[in-house]
Amino acid sequence: MRHLFAELCASALLSLISALPPAQAQTKTVETTIAGPLSYDASEEVTLNGVVSSVLTKPSSGMIMGSHLLLATTSGPVDASMGKFGLLGAGAVSVAAGQQIGVTGVMKTIKDNQVFIVRTVKVGGEVYAVRNEHGFPVSPQARQRASGKTSGGTL
Amino acid sequence: MIRKTCANILALVFVTGCSSLGRKVAVESMVTATSGSGQSATINAAFAAPLVATVTAGGSPASGVMVTFTAPATGASGTFAGGANTATATTNANGVATSATFTANGTAAAYTVVASVSGVPTTANFSLTNTAVRASMNYSFYLSGLEAADEGPNYYALAGSVTIDTNGNVLAGEQDYNDAVEFTSPQPSGDTINGGTLTVDATTGQGILTLIANNTALGVSGIETIGVQFVNSKHALIVQYDATATSSGSMDSQTLPSTLSGGYAFTLSGVDPDYFSLVAGGVFSISDTTLRDGLVDVDDAGVVTLGNQFRGTISAPDSFGRGTITGTSIASTLNYYIVGPEAMRIIDVDPDGSGVGSAFGQGASAGTFGNASLGSSVFAVESNSWGPSYAAIGMFTTIPDGGTYQGVADNDELGTRVWTASTISGTYSIAANGYGALTIQNGNLGDVSALGIYMADQNLDLADPNSTTSGLGGALVADLDTNLNGTGILIPQTDTTTISFSGNYAFGGQDYNGNTNGEFDFVGQGSVTGALLTANGVVGDPFFFFNANPTTDSEVTFSGLATSDVENLGRYTMFAPNPLVITVPAGSPNDFQVIIYQASGGQLFWLDEDSDSLFLGPLQREGPLAGLPAAGRTAARTKRKRNQ
Repeated sequence: MRHLFAELCASALLSLISALPPAQAQTKTVETTIAGPLSYDASEEVTLNGVVSSVLTKPSSGMIMGSHLLLATTSGPVDASMGKFGLLGAGAVSVAAGQQIGVTGVMKTIKDNQVFIVRTVKVGGEVYAVRNEHGFPVSPQARQRASGKTSGGTL
Repeated sequence: MIRKTCANILALVFVTGCSSLGRKVAVESMVTATSGSGQSATINAAFAAPLVATVTAGGSPASGVMVTFTAPATGASGTFAGGANTATATTNANGVATSATFTANGTAAAYTVVASVSGVPTTANFSLTNTAVRASMNYSFYLSGLEAADEGPNYYALAGSVTIDTNGNVLAGEQDYNDAVEFTSPQPSGDTINGGTLTVDATTGQGILTLIANNTALGVSGIETIGVQFVNSKHALIVQYDATATSSGSMDSQTLPSTLSGGYAFTLSGVDPDYFSLVAGGVFSISDTTLRDGLVDVDDAGVVTLGNQFRGTISAPDSFGRGTITGTSIASTLNYYIVGPEAMRIIDVDPDGSGVGSAFGQGASAGTFGNASLGSSVFAVESNSWGPSYAAIGMFTTIPDGGTYQGVADNDELGTRVWTASTISGTYSIAANGYGALTIQNGNLGDVSALGIYMADQNLDLADPNSTTSGLGGALVADLDTNLNGTGILIPQTDTTTISFSGNYAFGGQDYNGNTNGEFDFVGQGSVTGALLTANGVVGDPFFFFNANPTTDSEVTFSGLATSDVENLGRYTMFAPNPLVITVPAGSPNDFQVIIYQASGGQLFWLDEDSDSLFLGPLQREGPLAGLPAAGRTAARTKRKRNQ
């Protein structure tokens, strides 16, 4: 499917300046209540620096789904969720225990545990996107496509 | 009870007795056709639904009244259980009389069965049609899921149409496959299906369909294997069933209309060119080759845009009911496959994006929708195989004047949190063109809070578009949240009684799980007796959730005991100590904590709400299987006794 966001924004703009019948200009309001564990509010992002103590391609008991990095930070240990594809497939984050990294994301309490929802990881000067700004996972295919781009997309 | 029945009979007698004195009997007492009219059945096969008449006296239901159903004595007609062309039934407390099973005779044509009541001058007519056995039938199908091939996992969608003869031979067909990575069927031709076989157990409706396509990149060297579970002779739940991919969808007998026209509601779910999950839903209308008055809501990886106008061009369908929709903002090219006059499957065939969904006609309701169009309903939504994995189901009642609703729902956001029997409430609105929205307030259902609602024909069964007798009405749904997206269905809730959840059911499910970071899909069939489900099915499992047979499993058993939620009638749990247990051959039993919501005795949805896996799927009461292609050929791998 197309980059609907960009195209539809353009379409919406065109529709505003065209003479389409008013009856078509329907609007509806969909209130979005951010409440669940998958919610990701980019305005709450922080960056943590630490040393990787473990690389978990599969979650341990009690952890949320997906891959994880366990970090040792100055504030203590942090469970950093790398999502469904963070450590999987082409273009995945390349990291090993003992490495110093920086992670940007949002700290949340899920299943009674503190977990850091990672959006980007900085490893040795390389920045990897793990999720988009809404928390949607960045897949190997998405990484591949993003690396082939000459200009940015909508995501 | 006996006293009340006698009173009603006396009331009837009194009223009809007064007729000789000049009273307007037709106004006081009458018999009407409530349901069952408009059905078709293959010659010598039973009709799917009984004939139901309602008798009223003075405007009130008349119980204990004998209704006589009379079919034509000669020509196209049929017989009731017992072999006679007449049958009687007595009205219940609601004034409703239900006929015994009615079976078409050997003559194909339309005719009328008359329901009458002694002493009441009016009668009720049921229009029925006996259809001839055709040498072959066309089916349209669609699927979406996870592809293991092509350096997967990848999202993929598949839609097509096939001609199958009475012996189960696939004679011809067309299909479009799209994983938006490498395997996209060439356009504009699509793939040609040159052969294959449908093998079905005549008793259970379970079997295997193989499709031989001219695209050797797909399936196993061009052969796609699909597990089928017929719900009735015109509708099957299906899963792709080979080592290359797993997916869920449906297959329905195809009737090509002379033209496509009128209002439609639609949803699509797939991936955008950046390979993020994307869903879209909206309404449009078709006039000749023009697709106009389009409004589409889009959730593109959390970026939500609402009510965007669009137009397009729709081509005439070919002999397989396949055509194209171009010029929209949704995709460069969408192909469609007609199911019937008011139902089509749509698939994005662009090489850099993929998606699949349905468009359903709005019929005579187009332009007349409003808040009152949405009443008590059951809804079910699920992410596609690529988005943040979740599924939610629920039920609610509406107050149309205020545009509010309240109900209860369940939601599993995989691996993070499960909401069980959450009270939900909020507002909704439906415009005249069927375009609407529903908001779940206060985060009572986690991240599921914003649903687009797109109303379809109130005489259409969205889960089984060839059905005209039950489960009619409802809407397509798009989940338009910023943290997840998905699509689903919303259908009227008409019966929450536990006694109705009984009989033989076909079912399916699309499971996402953390164990494999992948997906498995299943279809099956069995009985629900005393709330106990006992069934058999097939599982597509190329990501090794069930270890015994890593790719495909037949002869899979399903069992579970449904416990009614007395505080929320229409909701059931299959929780420990009686969870749903799925056991593959030579494998260990796997427990699933399952919730069921009942729209009616014939249509239910179930949701696995475990912390490390979820699935969503339908449970649909089985109808007559007579007339199935290859029904005489028993599938050796699926042969089993009917669970009853």
